[in-house]
Amino acid sequence: MSPTDGRGAASDATGGTSHAPAIDHQKLLAEIDAEVQRKRESGDIPADLERELDLVFARFAPVDALEADFEQVLTRAEQATFIDVIAPVESSRPVVPIFKKVVRKVVGWYLRYVAQQTSAFAHAITRAVRLLGERVDVLEQASPVAAQRAAADGDVQPPSAPDLSHWAPTLARWLQATTGRVLHAEAGDGALLAALVEAGVDAYGVDPRPRPNVVNEVREDEAAVHLRALPDGALAAIVLSGCVDRMALGAQLQLADLVATKVAPGGTVIVLGTHPAAWAESHAPVHVDLSPGRPLHPETWQHLLAQRGMTESEIVAGPPDRAALAPVPKGDRVLNANIERLNALLFGPSSYALAAHRPE
Amino acid sequence: MVDAIHQFVPSFVPRDAIGTHTRALRALLHDMGIESDLYVGETREAARGETRPYLSYAGARSGPRTWLLYQLSTGSKMAEYLLARPEPKLVDYHNITPPSFFFPWEAHVGVELDHGRQQIPLLSGCTDLAFADSAYNEDELIEVGFPKTVVAPIFVDYESFDQGVDTRLLNSLLSAKRGAHWLFVGRVAPNKCQHEVVKAFAAYRSLYDAEARLTLVGGSSSHAYKTAIEQYVEALGLEGAVTLTGNIGQQALAAHFQAADVFVCLSEHEGFCVPLLEAMHNRLPVVAYDATAVPETLGDGGLLLTDKSPVNVAAVVHRVVSDASVRDALVGAGQERLAFFSTERVRERWVDALKSLG
Repeated sequence: MSPTDGRGAASDATGGTSHAPAIDHQKLLAEIDAEVQRKRESGDIPADLERELDLVFARFAPVDALEADFEQVLTRAEQATFIDVIAPVESSRPVVPIFKKVVRKVVGWYLRYVAQQTSAFAHAITRAVRLLGERVDVLEQASPVAAQRAAADGDVQPPSAPDLSHWAPTLARWLQATTGRVLHAEAGDGALLAALVEAGVDAYGVDPRPRPNVVNEVREDEAAVHLRALPDGALAAIVLSGCVDRMALGAQLQLADLVATKVAPGGTVIVLGTHPAAWAESHAPVHVDLSPGRPLHPETWQHLLAQRGMTESEIVAGPPDRAALAPVPKGDRVLNANIERLNALLFGPSSYALAAHRPE
Repeated sequence: MVDAIHQFVPSFVPRDAIGTHTRALRALLHDMGIESDLYVGETREAARGETRPYLSYAGARSGPRTWLLYQLSTGSKMAEYLLARPEPKLVDYHNITPPSFFFPWEAHVGVELDHGRQQIPLLSGCTDLAFADSAYNEDELIEVGFPKTVVAPIFVDYESFDQGVDTRLLNSLLSAKRGAHWLFVGRVAPNKCQHEVVKAFAAYRSLYDAEARLTLVGGSSSHAYKTAIEQYVEALGLEGAVTLTGNIGQQALAAHFQAADVFVCLSEHEGFCVPLLEAMHNRLPVVAYDATAVPETLGDGGLLLTDKSPVNVAAVVHRVVSDASVRDALVGAGQERLAFFSTERVRERWVDALKSLG
């Protein structure tokens, strides 16, 4: 049935389409998707069809419109060093092609002379950029940038956000007098955020990773990117978690700058962090080794925020969540004191919350 | 009681989406007994009779309870003028395209859009109430600090489609028809992704229907992007199958809607997307990509795609145009969705929103 036939026949059959039975859109799309998969696997859909379509469009689009990487951009630049001096002469008007041919012939010698020099210059530049690129590759492999790139690839992202819901009562206490919007970055699945909203806090969250089961108030965004887009003093309070544990030191310092300016006078900055010792223990070795950064001690955040004008800070230790050494019943006093010292050293609280306030 | 709400429009085109909305809103305000004049930056000669240059606005002569309503859809010196005015302000936000879409194609347009986006937070501090076409737009306003916002959809001129069609064009389109006819309506601009529509259409011709045609209706916001589309069409050998109409009149637009079999929107950024509703009004099944405000406007009134790979879009369109039950169900769903954005419903939502001014 042709599309046109289908349209007419259906309308006639139903006497108007507004009463046509509803369809399950998701089911229909899943059916079509499965059919496409089958056709791809069977070869009914040529494997390179879409790639060919992309490559043809790439010939006409600016390179920065195509999300191209360094290699692709450089290849495009190298291709563009060829300058075609044979201009097209077609025209819909009768005499114009002859006129164009004459002009092309007359100025051809001059254009070739200029084009040869321009091409030579462009080729030399692109060659220099390629050599520079190769040297940057060597440098990257020998520097911590490589680890940052590995982390950015997502291979070492923690599979799930830590459970922060036990901090809800502490945060509700710190935020009870807050009037205005409160940002939680990164909010993970939004469990802590939901608890804050239920406690009457006007909170929303951002998280960089798309998650299927998040509360509505969590948007997909990077903490620093989101904060940069806000006007200064836009937020009544900012809660930081997750990102503070894995950012490189430079990024952590930038984040401290951002929160200190984006929180309103009288507002609160809260950091929910992992103790550095516990962090190394509680994550997979690959994550620990390739992470671009390490968590900071609460005292360090306290210091950084104080340097940025934040005062009245308070640190609360998280609940102990690791099995400690048990004291020996009726054991030697010195022995048990040593066990206590070992517990404090090895099995202290693995997390902390810190609040600091921007003066009015 | 409100004495007057005067509207300020940087660039007023009577029949485009914002022009239509502005005029309908003025009519509503008049019906409510509220004085409302249109003050504009640029306009066409034909619209001069119903508008005034914004610099001629002389203050609150209409009464002490006068608001100035800024139709915000682009960067403009008008925003700076309004910021300096003492009257209380309202903003009606239609969204500003993120400049990143334009920088690679038309850097100067990107700079203008960037300027426009930087003006949005400046307006937040002096705006009593901000209206947004969609919850998507409202989220952007809240994010930059607007204290009080409300969703009040844009007015769409459905009646003009019922007032006549270019029959000559319609007959010509129908007589040339050999296969399915795809349609997209919207300015030719990088964020609208007409190149993706061409890609999907090329896949469709290759896999399902070698006689299919595609019409892209709309003026251009980027000469470079439009040129690339034309070159792409030519390189794919689709010159006879793809038409870029440029700006066309209402009756010609009605002819294209009536001749088409499916409306395909693969846009990456829309603050509302009026053509989705126009397609539903013209009983066209809609296939659209899930981006920005599109899912909100489309609702269940069309098929929403999360994957716009050319082969996938082609397969979905093939099913829509070749399966009468699917097509009819989508047209019916479109009619139901349309009721949510009927002129009466939109008027009611605006009346409710305006009541909050006291």
